[in-house]
Amino acid sequence: MDEDPTTGNSPAAETFDPDLIHAIFKLVWRRRAEKGGGGNEDIDVEPAPETSRRNRRTTANASALKVSCELLRIFVTEAIQRAAFIAEAEEATVIEPTHLERVLPQLLLDF
Amino acid sequence: MDTDMDMDFDTLAEDADADATLAGDSGGEAERYDAAEAEADLLRDRLRLAVISIATSEGKKAGMTVADPVVACIADLAFKSAEQLAKDAELFAQHAGRKSIKMDDVILTAHRNEHLMGLLRSFSQELKGKEPASERKRKKSSKKDDRVIDV
Repeated sequence: MDEDPTTGNSPAAETFDPDLIHAIFKLVWRRRAEKGGGGNEDIDVEPAPETSRRNRRTTANASALKVSCELLRIFVTEAIQRAAFIAEAEEATVIEPTHLERVLPQLLLDF
Repeated sequence: MDTDMDMDFDTLAEDADADATLAGDSGGEAERYDAAEAEADLLRDRLRLAVISIATSEGKKAGMTVADPVVACIADLAFKSAEQLAKDAELFAQHAGRKSIKMDDVILTAHRNEHLMGLLRSFSQELKGKEPASERKRKKSSKKDDRVIDV
């Protein structure tokens, strides 16, 4: 139908940036490593990996990041598609928070 | 409910302002914890931008416009699930005795949803197929050799 130049430019624009996801991952890992050092975790059997090899933190390879991006992209598109389905049933043209609310429980169970 | 959402947006805007000022005098007494929090906020905002573009284009496909609170909510959930994904993948890798996350770790995080797992599997196959690297082939052949020896 009507081609919108802002959205129809490239398929690459419709997924996440692996670098961004990597940055988020690193943040979480750093946070977890610090928490583990604080002695909060007694489940961890290994005696604090960051003391033995401090420079070796968890890393991710490029394809793993791409798959992560895909997973998050699917999450977002599923959320929109399911909400759109509800909105369509109510003959609305705008996806409102109430539509999202209806699909949220199942969506969160599915991911 | 609407008022709540509006309030959320206001606080978000304030947070963004706070970040800007924090970045200005980061050389001062900014604690490490605050710096990490500021970084988290920055990442959250970047993720939100990405979610906005994906969500609006997906809405357009369905012939709908998406209300802003909906996008904000999905962005927040996406960030939370990214955090959870990071944790899960790290634990899986550790369990396998690795320090680096591989594709299989990420795919394994979706093990509760077979359909999703299938989607990710085919995506990863596609990625593998795209990669021209001879290195991968070498790895594969060595793996095969290992298997033969095992059997």
